[in-house]
Amino acid sequence: MGTSAEKEYADFEDKVKRTVYFDNLSPKVKESVLKTALSQFGTVVGVQFIPNYSQFNNMPLCALVEMESVKDAKNVTTEIVNYPFMISGMPRPVRARPAEAQMFTDRPVKPGRKIQCRWVDPKEPYFQVATELKSLARNHAKEALCLLQLQLEEEEKLAKEQAESLKEKYNKFKIIDNLLIDGTMRRLASCYNMNVADE
Amino acid sequence: MSHPKEAPASENLEFSWGKKRGIGGKKKEVQFYESFIFDRDEYCLFDCVYLYKDGEPEPYIGKIIKIWEQPQNKNKIKVLWFFRPKEVKNWLQDFEPEENEIFLASGEGVGLANINPVEAIAGKCNVVCTSKDSRNPQPSEEELSRADYVFCRTFNVATCTISDKIDDKIAGVEVKDLLNRKGGQSANGTDKLEVLQKKGKSNVVANNEAAPLVMKPTASGSLEDGTIDEKPCNSVIKENGDVKPSFVKQEPLAGGDLVSNTNLNLKETDATAFVQDASPVDESTLPMLVASPVAVSDVKEPKTSGRSVQKVQNKKKSKGLKENTSLDDRPFKKPEVNSSTVKLQFSISPSSPVNKEKDENTTPKKRGRDSDEINVKDSGMADCASDEKSKSKLVKDSLEKTKGSFKVTESNEKLVKLSNGKRLRKAAAHSPEKNNVTDDKILEVTRRPDADRSKWFKGLPWEGRMESAYNQGTLVLLENFDPAYTSSEIEDIIWHGFRENCTARVVPRTTFSSPHSGQAFTIFKSRDAAEMAIRKLDEGCLLLPNGRPLIASRGIPPSSSGKPPVFPGHIVIDQIKRQLQREEMRQAVSTSHCSQPNTIEYEMAMEWCLLQKRTDSCWKDLYKGHGDEIRKLKANPKFK
Repeated sequence: MGTSAEKEYADFEDKVKRTVYFDNLSPKVKESVLKTALSQFGTVVGVQFIPNYSQFNNMPLCALVEMESVKDAKNVTTEIVNYPFMISGMPRPVRARPAEAQMFTDRPVKPGRKIQCRWVDPKEPYFQVATELKSLARNHAKEALCLLQLQLEEEEKLAKEQAESLKEKYNKFKIIDNLLIDGTMRRLASCYNMNVADE
Repeated sequence: MSHPKEAPASENLEFSWGKKRGIGGKKKEVQFYESFIFDRDEYCLFDCVYLYKDGEPEPYIGKIIKIWEQPQNKNKIKVLWFFRPKEVKNWLQDFEPEENEIFLASGEGVGLANINPVEAIAGKCNVVCTSKDSRNPQPSEEELSRADYVFCRTFNVATCTISDKIDDKIAGVEVKDLLNRKGGQSANGTDKLEVLQKKGKSNVVANNEAAPLVMKPTASGSLEDGTIDEKPCNSVIKENGDVKPSFVKQEPLAGGDLVSNTNLNLKETDATAFVQDASPVDESTLPMLVASPVAVSDVKEPKTSGRSVQKVQNKKKSKGLKENTSLDDRPFKKPEVNSSTVKLQFSISPSSPVNKEKDENTTPKKRGRDSDEINVKDSGMADCASDEKSKSKLVKDSLEKTKGSFKVTESNEKLVKLSNGKRLRKAAAHSPEKNNVTDDKILEVTRRPDADRSKWFKGLPWEGRMESAYNQGTLVLLENFDPAYTSSEIEDIIWHGFRENCTARVVPRTTFSSPHSGQAFTIFKSRDAAEMAIRKLDEGCLLLPNGRPLIASRGIPPSSSGKPPVFPGHIVIDQIKRQLQREEMRQAVSTSHCSQPNTIEYEMAMEWCLLQKRTDSCWKDLYKGHGDEIRKLKANPKFK
C-alpha cells in the first residue's frame, strides 16, 4: 500500500502535466463552451472551475482543463499564448498556462512528506521573530489584496476606455456607411470629378 | 461508486437459493428471492451484513433489502447502508454517538443504497434497533448484549442531517422491516451457538466437533459421549474417504496461498510445517489440526473484541486467502482489532484448506473460550491417536502460541510497520505522547486518529457548508503555511496543534496567489473551538517547518451577495447586439476564435495583453519583495 500512495501521487502528477490552467474567463463560460472551444487543439477530458474565494465579484473565472495527452496540453498553451484567444466575448483574451499541483484542491498528499510543527515558547528569542513574521504575513496579505484591487480597477478602466473608443469608431463607420447608402458619396465624387468606383 | 468487488474465486464458495419471491424485469428474466445460503450462512431479506471492500479498513454495514438473480447467474443484493459515526463525523454536530452506534441511511441520493454482488458479503452483522419508536419491538437485554451494533437514528443522505425519527419508508422499504423483527432477532450465528451450547457440555465435544462436521454431521453423534479414544478418530478416517479428493485438490492451492503470505515468520513456519505434515500423513489429521489451533489461538482473544469481529475478520481473512490477496493488503482499524487479526492468522492459515468449514470452525471457537488447557491437551490426545509426528508438531505449535501472547503484540507492530507508510504514521498517531516527549516539543504531524476516511460520500457542496459555518462562527481562514500542503495535512496540523477536529479546504492557487503563503478555509466543530484556535494562534506562535507561524482570522466566505459576477472587457456594440442576440443564443457554444491581426479586435486584445503583462510583472515584483522581507527578518542577527 505504500506504493499505492506513491502511485496515486504519480497519477496525479501526470494529470497535472496534462492540465491547462485558464484565467481571464468570462463567468458566462460553461463547461460545454470550453470543451468546444478547445476541441480544435485536442481532446478535452475534463473541466474543473476554480471557485472565486476572493471578496471581489469582478474577478475573472479560472478553470483547469484536463486534456487527453501532454502533447495536447502543450498545444493549447502555445497556441493561446501566441494568438489572443477569445471565448464567449471580445476583445479580452483568455489566458492559458500549464497547471500546477497547487491549483488542485483535492490533490493527494505527497508521499513521504513529514510536517513538524511546534508551539514557540514566548521566552524564546525566536518568539519575537515569529510574532513579527505574523504581522509581516498579514501586511503582505493586505498588500496583495491592494494590488489585486488596483489590477481590477485597471481592468475596468481599460474596458471602459475600449468601450468608448469602440463606440466612437462604430459611429464613424456608421456615418461613412450612411454616406454611401444615401448617395452623398457619389454626388460628391462626381462634383469633384473623382473616380470612386466600388471595388 | 464501486462497491465491494466481486470475489474472483466465488465458485469456491457454496451458494444456493432459498425461497422464491416474484419474477421481474422487462423479459421476466429476473428472479427475486427471500433468502439464500452463501458460504454456509443463510441470509434472509432484511438481514444485516458486513460488506467488505478492498482497501477499506473496516467493512461497511448494510441491510439486505432485495435479493435477485439476473441472467448469466449474476446474484445481486440491494443494500441499504448504515453509517459509522466516523463516516459522517462532519455532520455529527452535537450528537454523541455511543460506541457501537451506527446510523441508518435515509432520504434520497448517493449513499442511501447500492446494488452489490452477493460475493461482496463478508459476514453477518447483528444490528439491533434501540429506537423508542412505538413501531419498534423493543429489544431485550439479551439481544442488546448480543448486538454488534445498535441504531436509533437516521442519517439523511440528501440533507446530511441526523434525525431521531425514522421515516415510514426508506428506499421503498416499509419501516417495520427495518426495525427489529417481531419475536426477536433470528441472528443465525447466535442461534447456532445456543444449540451447540445445549448439545455439548464439555469442551471436548465442541473441539472435536469441528472435525466430524467437516465430513458429515452424523459423525458428531458418535462424539457426543465425550470420550476420546481411537474410535471416533477411526470413524473420522473412515468417513474421510469421500472427502479425500477435495482435500487433495485443495492442498496445493492452500499451500501456495500460505507461503505467499509470508509476512510473519512465525506463521510461515507454521504453515509450511502444516503443509509438509499434512501431505504425507493421513488426511484425517487435517481436521484435527484445524480444530486445535483454532481453539488455542482463540482463547487468548481479549474479551472486548467481540465475537462478531472475530467472525468477520475470520471470514474476511479466508476470503482474502481465496482471492490470493497477500496479507499486507489487509487494513487494520486499531491495535485491538489488529492483534486479533494477527492472532486469527494462526487459526485461519491452517483452516484455509477447509475453507468451506469455516462456519464450523467459528462455532466451536466461540465455545472454546471457556478453557484452553483442556483443548490443548485434547487436541494433543486426539492427534496422538491418529499420528505421532503431527502431535509433536502440534504441541510445539500450540506451545509457541501460548507463549506467544507477547509475541503477538510484537508481530502486530511489525505487521503495521510492514504495511504502508500511511498506516505506519497512523500507528504513531496512537502514541502521540511518546512523540511529544521525545521530539522536544516538536509535534510530528501524523494522521490524526479517527480521520475521516469515507471517500465515497461527499455530502453538501463545500461552498454551502462554508456559508453556514460562517453564520455559525466556525469558519476560520488559515494563512502563512507552505502552499504545497494539502487539505488533509492542514486538518492534521490543526489536530496536532489544538486537538480539535476540523474540516479544511485549501484555497487553490490562482494567478495572483502568493507563493509564500498558502490559504485554507477551515470549519471547526464549534464556535468556541474556532475562537480558541484564532486566539491561540494570535497570542502564541505555532511554528511550521518553513520557520513561519500559522496565522488565523475569521473566514469570510466568497461573496455570495446574490450579485451576478461582473466581467469587464467583453464589449458588444449595442445595436449589433440586438440584431445578433437571437442568433448568438442559438450558437452560444461556438463563440470562440483566435483573433486575426488586422482587426480592431486584435488591436484591443493587444491592449489587454499589455495590461496583463504589466500586472504580471507587478505581482512578480510584489512577491519577490515579500520573499526578501521574510528572509531578511528570519536572518535578523538581533535574534540569533
